[in-house]
Amino acid sequence: MPASPDINQFKEIALRYGIAPTPESVVRLTQLIARQHCCVDEIVRVIEQEPGLSARLLRVANPRASDESEYTVGTVDEALMRNGIGCALLLAMGTPLSLALIKTFQTMLSLKLESVDVHQLDALEGEHMRCSIGFSGKVAGHVYLRMSSKVARAIAAGILGLDAAELGNEEVRDAAGELLNIMTGNFKSNLCDAGLDCKLRPPKVGTTDDVSTPVEPGGGLERLAFRTGDLQIFVEVTANPWSD
Amino acid sequence: MAIKILSVDDSRTIRLIVGKAFRPYDVTLLEAANGEEGLAVAAREKPELIFLDVTMPVMDGVTMLTKLKEDPALKAIPVIMLTAESGRENVLQIARLGVRDYLVKPFKEEQIVEKAGRCVTLEKRPVATPA
Repeated sequence: MPASPDINQFKEIALRYGIAPTPESVVRLTQLIARQHCCVDEIVRVIEQEPGLSARLLRVANPRASDESEYTVGTVDEALMRNGIGCALLLAMGTPLSLALIKTFQTMLSLKLESVDVHQLDALEGEHMRCSIGFSGKVAGHVYLRMSSKVARAIAAGILGLDAAELGNEEVRDAAGELLNIMTGNFKSNLCDAGLDCKLRPPKVGTTDDVSTPVEPGGGLERLAFRTGDLQIFVEVTANPWSD
Repeated sequence: MAIKILSVDDSRTIRLIVGKAFRPYDVTLLEAANGEEGLAVAAREKPELIFLDVTMPVMDGVTMLTKLKEDPALKAIPVIMLTAESGRENVLQIARLGVRDYLVKPFKEEQIVEKAGRCVTLEKRPVATPA
């Protein structure tokens, strides 16, 4: 089927401005899952073509296993039966969200951020910084970014090229909010490109000692963790792809 | 004479980074935190270039760009979008309204200067001579 004039025009503009298009696998998977009554076999085929996504889905489907040899759920098909297809969307969307965060660290802080299993990091305890952005439309949910106040200060200092001690609390909060903005802007673009039009709400940034995350009604929760040196960052996405 | 560049972004962090990028150049940085403020500053100061975010409170970047292009006194000011949103519909809508360039966040300071250098002539800031 030939591409629509809009898609061709977008490709030309994206090339001119140096804009990276949404990965095809994310678009395809999101479109399939958004249909709700879609063919599971098709979803399985798309996921199986993405080794990273397959591995993460199997990891989530085997929460007690310490490595692959202990997996009781061994195929993508079984994993989808166990976790539901909404889980596949969260995992698929987690990939560009992770890439956006890693790229932001590389580009703005010259730091190589590593994506790790959430259990490999020390859990956040006590008061910490929590930034959240809600989105609503054909898909509804929230993205949360959590880190210790010390890490938030170090990140703000790195982004602004200033000494951490020079920064006021407002500058630290604004930098953390912008970090989340950059990640979710990318996330929202991917959802919209896949036909799940949604709008972002303004970010909320503050400190909390509550580590629980409210899950979107009818949706699921994906937890991502990252580290570079002794900096640890946690990202949570909760979304319901059939909210309308 | 210093070139006037307007940064319209609700994030102070981004406005600080834009300001830092142009510090070595003979540039006066003007700032606005939303589209409404941005239009007011643009009308008053007539900047040579505008960096514009999309998602902002009060008035978003697409609305500001639309109003800018409707105003005969302001429509020729080159605009570079500086945003994390690169979705197809957004980019097409913005491109149709008319922008000089599009820079997707995250970005390096050098990229801002490079993109600006394609729209205006940037000259190094004169070195202050001791009294």
